[in-house]
Amino acid sequence: MHIPDAFIPLPQAAVYWIIALVFIALSLRWARKEMKEEKVPLVAILAAGIFAIQAINVPIPWGTSGHMMGAALAAIVLGSPFAAVFILTLVLIVQGVLFGDGGITVMGANIINMGVIGGFVGYYSYRGLYPLFKSPYAPAFIAGWLSLFVAALVTAVEMAVAGTFPLGLGLFSMGLYHAVIGIIEGAITAVAIYLIATARPDIMADPAGVPA
Amino acid sequence: MMDRRTFIFAGIAVALVIAAAAPFIASGNPDGLESAFFGIFGAKEIQGSDLDDHAAESAEEAVIGITGNEFSFASPFPDYSMEGLEKFGEAAAIIIGTLLVLGIAFGLTRVVAREG
Repeated sequence: MHIPDAFIPLPQAAVYWIIALVFIALSLRWARKEMKEEKVPLVAILAAGIFAIQAINVPIPWGTSGHMMGAALAAIVLGSPFAAVFILTLVLIVQGVLFGDGGITVMGANIINMGVIGGFVGYYSYRGLYPLFKSPYAPAFIAGWLSLFVAALVTAVEMAVAGTFPLGLGLFSMGLYHAVIGIIEGAITAVAIYLIATARPDIMADPAGVPA
Repeated sequence: MMDRRTFIFAGIAVALVIAAAAPFIASGNPDGLESAFFGIFGAKEIQGSDLDDHAAESAEEAVIGITGNEFSFASPFPDYSMEGLEKFGEAAAIIIGTLLVLGIAFGLTRVVAREG
């Protein structure tokens, strides 16, 4: 879902950067207030793991592939959508600058789609679904799926505003591919939460009161 | 329960194993956004799997004409590759990236956590 530079006109790319910077500032404020020193290694491991897993493009039908985003996972494990903004921003900077994965001028848009939309949709759908299931795994799967699907639709709208995709066909094709890629996102999110909760049940007890 | 040190090393090990394996198992097909782009610009069918390489190249030129964004940037390891090193170069590039993200995230988070 990494948008390359050519897909968005510069003035629009600048607007996305400004919005992204607001969320980056809020995520830094979150980190300063909520981050305890014992969580530092967990944040670093999640960031590294998300970077690595984003390199695995899984084949789906229609000659297409896709990889996990990791925003829902970061937000659920660390108990805040701003954790996803914080981690995904770091990952996207390294990907864009070192590896040319995702553009530079459009990095603000990529931070909004994967970090902000992914993090907020993932976190709040998990929070909303948890009481219905009384278990973290089904809500984590659905939250992962939804976070990627909604991020893809928002990307399609941005492409339409940019003049790159027509709105209808853009929403249809982005929605079709990412409905399938979302299964990967949901499954890995649920499995990662299972592994973390099994290894360290204490980590998952999040301050916002969502036990897992 | 896993002790703190074991959990940290296990976490780093999992990330590095994923990074090393990635180039050998990842699909080279266009991703969702690229595939939508090629479909819309006539280089493939949206629900088909054959990509017309020639049309794909023209699509990449055509989109710059639409957006006017000609920005290009020569990253040191484009598409996670190292010149002449094939899959092992890719694995090395992704491992370097993973360690770099680990280090930056650790350093930055520690500074921010201490400020708070």
